[in-house]
Amino acid sequence: MALVNHLTASCWRNLQGGRMHKQLSVILRHLHKSATSEALEISATGEEAMPQRLITPADVGGTRRIKSLKEMPGPSTLSNLVEFFWRDGFSRIHEIQNEHRKKYGKIFKSRFGPQLVVSIADHDLVAEVLRAEGTAPQRANMESWKEYRDMRGRSTGLISAEGEQWLKMRSVLRQLIMRPRDVAAFSDDVNKVVDDLIKRVCTLRGRESDGATILNVNDLFFKYAMEGVAAILYECRLGCLENEVPQETQDYITALHLMFSSFKTTMYAGAIPKWLRPVIPKPWLEFCNSWDGLFKFTLIHVDKRLSDIKAQMEREEEVKGGLLTHMLVTREMNLEEIYANITEMLLAGVDTTSFTLSWASYLLARYPQVQEQIFAEVTSALGPRTVATADDIPRLPLIRGLVKETLRLFPVLPGNGRITQDDLVVGGYFIPKGTQLALCHYSTSLDEENFPDASDFCPKRWIRKDSTDRVDNFGSIPFGYGIRSCIGRRIAELEMHLALTRLVQRFHIGVSPLTTDVKAKTHGLLCPAAPIHLQFTDRETTS
Amino acid sequence: MALATALRRLSDARLRRLCGRTAAGLTAGARLPAQRSFTAGTHALRSDDKVTVHFVNRDGDKITVKGSPGDSLLDVVINEDLDFDGYGACEGTLACSTCHLIFDEDTYKKLGAVTDEELDMLDLAYGLTDTSRLGCQICLSKSLDGIMARIPESVADIRQSTDGSV
Repeated sequence: MALVNHLTASCWRNLQGGRMHKQLSVILRHLHKSATSEALEISATGEEAMPQRLITPADVGGTRRIKSLKEMPGPSTLSNLVEFFWRDGFSRIHEIQNEHRKKYGKIFKSRFGPQLVVSIADHDLVAEVLRAEGTAPQRANMESWKEYRDMRGRSTGLISAEGEQWLKMRSVLRQLIMRPRDVAAFSDDVNKVVDDLIKRVCTLRGRESDGATILNVNDLFFKYAMEGVAAILYECRLGCLENEVPQETQDYITALHLMFSSFKTTMYAGAIPKWLRPVIPKPWLEFCNSWDGLFKFTLIHVDKRLSDIKAQMEREEEVKGGLLTHMLVTREMNLEEIYANITEMLLAGVDTTSFTLSWASYLLARYPQVQEQIFAEVTSALGPRTVATADDIPRLPLIRGLVKETLRLFPVLPGNGRITQDDLVVGGYFIPKGTQLALCHYSTSLDEENFPDASDFCPKRWIRKDSTDRVDNFGSIPFGYGIRSCIGRRIAELEMHLALTRLVQRFHIGVSPLTTDVKAKTHGLLCPAAPIHLQFTDRETTS
Repeated sequence: MALATALRRLSDARLRRLCGRTAAGLTAGARLPAQRSFTAGTHALRSDDKVTVHFVNRDGDKITVKGSPGDSLLDVVINEDLDFDGYGACEGTLACSTCHLIFDEDTYKKLGAVTDEELDMLDLAYGLTDTSRLGCQICLSKSLDGIMARIPESVADIRQSTDGSV
């Protein structure tokens, strides 16, 4: 889900809240993660508090003055407010990243009232920050999420939890869905959903006069992604890709759309102080309503599986199943934690995947030569009819390259957040513990320094000559890096690899005359600013 | 993946406590698909089945330990309670590259195939070399007896050297 959303939400909230960051003006050579706060105990008053032992003669040799946040460049508070709240900068957050980087450099600060955000738009500095992470990194202030859970007596999940609670759940879930070879076991389940995707393409294009066009492919991919994630998380099919979508599924889609479409109002929901809610009740109500809808859907499916398991156990039958069954039987997490995590994982795994699939097919259509290269690779590896499984993906490097390149050009999360848990020195600036950082992935992934001809769509750039051919690619880390990176990464990759392989194998994808140049806009996530209409024509070999 | 192994991966006592109940919970009779078996047994291995591994830590000290065939090098680090700061943060789930190890060329060739996912994570490893691998992806076998693995220099020591931004 939209972390930029949370980031900006917390900015807005703090605008009201008034938490001033202490301006520290200290001269430090270098501060490192856990060592810093404990060893240094920098006083909040900003006094110089440099223990002697941290300055070694070797350090002094290369000493440069560590600058304070005060000295960091960045747009003024006023221009930022105008940009974001008057000129709707939220939908252009990704472009503003680039503009500010050009203007202010690789690290700059922005103020939203008293809330300070330090943006980091350089792959080396992003690497430094992520490599210095502790055991439970924090992305952004998630208080409004937590408040809703408390109100309804629900648990937090991987997105909304912090600290020990987060680590406990992450430790359980990463052992289940992070290892590529474990996730490969979902290949057959995902392929059944891909079967339905292909059928759906045929049904939808059959309704158009040219027999080829799919209008707004994102709608199709949204349903594919939702069906795919649900097949894994709920161990059941929802019927998203059927002609008649079941009512409860339709209700869920409505709740999900409400969550995404009311991005701004839900953002303000957490931002508007509680005492103002009687006056401006709508944002908070919508926020709660959409969460109610999402949880309701999870409860229906999880409870159903739970009662099936209980019935099987009573009959003394062997209980078989996948991920959800495992969670329900082992109870490494309690039931509320299971509800919360299933809900958050479904929420996080739908439009992220669908936007990426939309962009990937759009790019294939816009770059027919690239599409032909990928088609050639797929047919030579698999022939015209073999259905790819996870085991085939290593033989399809261009399919992997396609996904990586799509996410480089359109990183679905254009920026990610971190709240520093130690005092750090980044880019020559002293950044005190508790500072909100914005890691500018959009900017770094379109940086010529990291990716020559950065605006070109070139999946080949990701192909290695051999296993020692390496790139320092911190410039494009669409799933993040480290222990708080995307937990659904391998599932999402599997869903995208298998769907794209089959689409390329089966169809020639072309741009519909109805589609012009589609730009990206930020709506929490980076998404197509206009509907993408594409034509899917059968490859001769499959007819 | 074997939860038994997973449990052993959890390095600190707090996590051990948090997850300590899981092994008992698994006897409830759930069967997952074969690929997702969480109930791998542990073989009783004779000590001469063990594989000797030498680690060279960041201070250059050599530490010699023994591991069981089938264990990953990350398992060995955890089982032996070796104190390499920040090592294996994601518990072998290919989400980070903190279990980065450097080998000599001959050893590197014996380590077996590298997956694309491991290569992607290695790209993000600090101090990458041509003979780098992730410890979580290397399984011990008798043929690796006596290998030497070097822990790369810590990120923190020179973290600011890449800076050139101001």
